[in-house]
Amino acid sequence: MTSSSAHPRKALSKIACNRLQKELVEWQVNPPTGFKHKVTDNLQRWIIDVNGAPGTLYANETYQLQVDFPEHYPMEAPQVIFIPTAPLHPHIYSNGHICLVSNTMDSMNQNICVICLMKKMSFSSFSDILYDSWSPAMTVNSICISILSMLSSSTAKQRPADNDQYVKNCRNGRSPKETRWWFHDDKV
Amino acid sequence: MVSDSALSAAAKQAEQLRKDGNIYFKKDRFAAAIDAYTEAITLCPNVPVYWTNRALCHRKRNDWLKVEEDCRRAIQLDHSSVKAHYMLGLALLKKKELDEGVKELLKALDLGRGANPKGYMVDEIWQEIAKAKYLLWEHATSKHAWELQSLKYVIPRKYFLDDQPEGFLDEADISHMKQLETLRQVFRKAGEADIPDEVPDHLCCKITLDIFCDPVISPSGVTYERSVILEHLQKVGKFDPITREPLDQSQLFPNLAIKEAVQAYLDKHGWAYKMD
Repeated sequence: MTSSSAHPRKALSKIACNRLQKELVEWQVNPPTGFKHKVTDNLQRWIIDVNGAPGTLYANETYQLQVDFPEHYPMEAPQVIFIPTAPLHPHIYSNGHICLVSNTMDSMNQNICVICLMKKMSFSSFSDILYDSWSPAMTVNSICISILSMLSSSTAKQRPADNDQYVKNCRNGRSPKETRWWFHDDKV
Repeated sequence: MVSDSALSAAAKQAEQLRKDGNIYFKKDRFAAAIDAYTEAITLCPNVPVYWTNRALCHRKRNDWLKVEEDCRRAIQLDHSSVKAHYMLGLALLKKKELDEGVKELLKALDLGRGANPKGYMVDEIWQEIAKAKYLLWEHATSKHAWELQSLKYVIPRKYFLDDQPEGFLDEADISHMKQLETLRQVFRKAGEADIPDEVPDHLCCKITLDIFCDPVISPSGVTYERSVILEHLQKVGKFDPITREPLDQSQLFPNLAIKEAVQAYLDKHGWAYKMD
């Protein structure tokens, strides 16, 4: 059901623990709208319920996010995927992997993506906050808000153009971070 | 009259014994290490390092009285020994002499920062100081709370010494009750600083989400915890985590104003020393 990377996860470092505990407390006081954290005693994996915002394509729909924190969080980005069944969205693959382009490019990102054949090309106009543009100042809270914004700005409930190819490629449990730069181009 | 060559022979032997002691120490053979250092001390009693090395062995065996003895001796020989002041501080804390212990730890922190601000010892010393300050705050608050409690009960009782028939409240009673309520508010306010709460945002690093220990400011005007922003620059990228402007280590400067503000906050809200 969930696809995490093939190698076992290392336990959280002390810095990661402290920071996550603080984020948890802040979440309880000030949760992002439309999100609910499912309480477990596992600090390293958060399961979050997502409610589609009213007035959007996903209104009244609920999905689940799985957030896995690496040993060196926040120096390293967490792995964020939807637990299938993932919402139908041009940037969300059917296995739950997300291609998250930051909000600064909102006007461009909805339907404009570029295919990159497994090679990293320099897109100075795009940023990919879950992968290469991660900053330790980002929090689960800010990631959730970005994801909701991505959902809300979608104009079509459809899978990415290269969905089948991508999912096949990830079959051996590859994490989204390993299959980077799988963007998709509607023009093709 | 001891000849010079005899003196230097003793010094050489003492150094060898120190090296032996260090090897024993690394193998956790503390008793053997102590013996080696003791012999070194016998040969050359004025070398502070022999005393602090031995003190470290005593510390490993939780022999705090001996730690104190050896550290005091080391300090006599070298006022600026970071290790000696540090371990003396720890020993005093063990004896529950919290104020004296914290004083020694602060001295060690000062000396340590002067020598090597990013050294691991500085972090360790700071951790111990935070623990001790928290304990001090706990003692102070429970004493404080007890005093407030007893006052709370004593004073109101004095107001109602005269028995009033029930149901009949005259103007004097009403004004008494108002004064009591004011008094309760005063007590509540007095205890407020002691209630653990959230540290204000401007005193916390945006990456650790915790109160600052050693704040530095970037050219964009954002303040970060020094050790963490350095780690970010090394591991994640050479950019400001919040503004994403290019950033290099050399552009970071200590934010002295925030540092003072943090200290002032900690002085007033001792519960914030709890950093776990």
